[in-house]
Amino acid sequence: MTETTTTTAAVRVDHVSHTYGSGPSAHHAISDLNFSVQPGEFVSIVGPSGAGKTTLLRTLAGLLKPSEGAVWVDGKKNNGVPPGMAMVFQDYSRSLLPWLTVEKNVGFPLAESKTPKAERKAIVAESLEAVGLAGFGKRYPWQLSGGMQQRVAIARALAYRPSLMLMDEPFASVDAQTREGLEDLVLKIRDTYGMTILFVTHDIDESVYLANRVLVLSRPPAHIVEDIRVDLPEPRDQITTRENPDFIHLRGHVARLIHGGGETK
Amino acid sequence: MSTTSTRTLATRALRADGVRPAWQRALVSIAYFVIPIAAILGIWQLVVVLSPPAPFFPAPFAIIGNLWELLFGSDKAVQQVFVGEFLQTVGRMALGFALGAIWGVIIGTVMGLSRGTRETINPIVEFLRSIPATATLPLFIILLGGGDDMRVAFIAYGVSWFVVINTAQGVGSIHKTMLDLGKVFRVSPARRLFAIILPAAMPKIFAGLRIASTAALLLAIVSEFMLASNGIGYMLVQAQGRFQLLNMWSWMLALAILGLIINSLLEFIEGKVLAWHRLSRQRT
Repeated sequence: MTETTTTTAAVRVDHVSHTYGSGPSAHHAISDLNFSVQPGEFVSIVGPSGAGKTTLLRTLAGLLKPSEGAVWVDGKKNNGVPPGMAMVFQDYSRSLLPWLTVEKNVGFPLAESKTPKAERKAIVAESLEAVGLAGFGKRYPWQLSGGMQQRVAIARALAYRPSLMLMDEPFASVDAQTREGLEDLVLKIRDTYGMTILFVTHDIDESVYLANRVLVLSRPPAHIVEDIRVDLPEPRDQITTRENPDFIHLRGHVARLIHGGGETK
Repeated sequence: MSTTSTRTLATRALRADGVRPAWQRALVSIAYFVIPIAAILGIWQLVVVLSPPAPFFPAPFAIIGNLWELLFGSDKAVQQVFVGEFLQTVGRMALGFALGAIWGVIIGTVMGLSRGTRETINPIVEFLRSIPATATLPLFIILLGGGDDMRVAFIAYGVSWFVVINTAQGVGSIHKTMLDLGKVFRVSPARRLFAIILPAAMPKIFAGLRIASTAALLLAIVSEFMLASNGIGYMLVQAQGRFQLLNMWSWMLALAILGLIINSLLEFIEGKVLAWHRLSRQRT
C-alpha cells in the first residue's frame, strides 16, 4: 500500500509468506499476505479450518519469523515479539499458570516493569474489575469455570496495557451463552481502552458481530479472499445486531466465501 | 453467574458425600499403617518365643530395645553412637542427595529445553545410567580416595540420574502455549526459567527426587561398606564380622526408620509445594 497517510498503521503485513519444512513435504501455509490495520480497528480473521490462521497470528506476534516478507507493528519492523502487544490464547487452561492465584496471574507480565508495587496492585484490581472478576483475585484459575478463566486471561492482557491485542480463537472452548457474554466484554474493553484488536476465529457469526473488518482467508497456501468492511450500528447488541438484515447478508456472504474454499467471489 | 453456582453446588455435594472429618481420616490412615506392622511383630515375637533358640533371628522387641540402647543408652560413650555413626550417614546422604539433585535439575533442564542437546546427550546419559551406580564405587575410590568427599561424590553421581531423566521429561513436555506466554509478554529468560518452566516441571522433578532419596540412602550405606571408619554401613559390616547379630538387626531397623522418615519428609514438602497440582487435578 502507498504510505500517503500521516498516521502509522497499527499493523502492516508486507508480502508475508510462510512455509514449514522444505522439499516435497513442505507445507506452504500462507502466501503473499498484504494488509494493514489502523489504530483502534477491530479486525476478524476467518477462514476454513487449517487455513493458516494460527500461522498468521504467530507471525504477527513475532513468535514465528516468516519465510518471506515482514510484519510492521506500530511503525517498527517485527524482530521478535513487539512491545505493547498482548495475546489471549485459545487454551486458557494452559495459558494461565495453575500455581499462581488469579491476581498473581494477572500481574505476572507486570512483575518486571518499573511500575511501583502499589500501582501494579491497582492495575491488577482494575483489570479484574473490567472483566467482572473483582473479588476473585485470591482464587486459583482451576477453581473457576472455563469462561471465567478466559476472563482472567483477558484481564492479564489488559493489565499489560497493550495498544494491540491478538486473540487466537479465544472463545472456541466455552459454551454458547458464556461466549456471548465474553464477546460483549471484548467490545466493551475495546471501547474503554481504545486498542487495536485482531481476532482469529472459525465462527462466522462471531467474526461479523465483533469486527469493523473481516479478512477472509483461503485454504492453504492462504491468501486474502476478501477484505470486508462491517458497518453495522454501534454499540453491537446480541439480539438486534444479529437481526439486522446487513448482518444476515454479511454472514451469508462470508459463509459462502469460506464454504467455497475461499476461491469464489 | 450461573456457572459459578453449579460449581459450588457440585463441590458442596462432593464434600457432603464422601469425605470424613480430618481427625477420622488421620486415625484411619494410622490404623492402616500400625495394624499390619503390629501383626507381623506379634507373629515374629511369638515364633521366636515358641521355637528353639535361633541366634540368627532375634526377637523383634529385643532388636528394638537394643537399638534404643545403641542410640540413646544412658552410657555416655554409647550415646556417642547417635552422633558418631547415625548422623554421619545422614549427613553424607543429605549432602550427596542435595548435590546430585541440583546437578540433576541443571542437566535435566538443559536437556529438556533444547531438542538438539537432548538428542546429543541422551545416548551418553542412557549408557552411563545403565552402569549400576554401586558398581562405580571402586572407580570413585581410586579417583578420590577413601574419604568423605569420595562418598558424597559417589552418592551425588548415583542420585543425579533419576533427577536428570525426570527433569528432562518434565521440562520437555511443557505445553507450547505456556512457553509462548512468556515470550508474548516479554518476560526475561531468567524469569521464564524460574517462574514458568521449573514450576511447570515441578511435579515430574519431585517424582524424580522421591526415587533419588531412596537411592541416596542405599548408596550411602554401600559407600560405607568400603574403607569407612564410621556410619551405619560401617557398623553393619562390623557387627556382621564380630557375629553381633542383635546389633546387625538393630542397624537394619535404624535404616528402615531412617527411610520412612526421609520419605514422609519429602511427602510433606511435596504436599506443600505441589498443593496446586494435586488440587487442580482433583477438579478436572
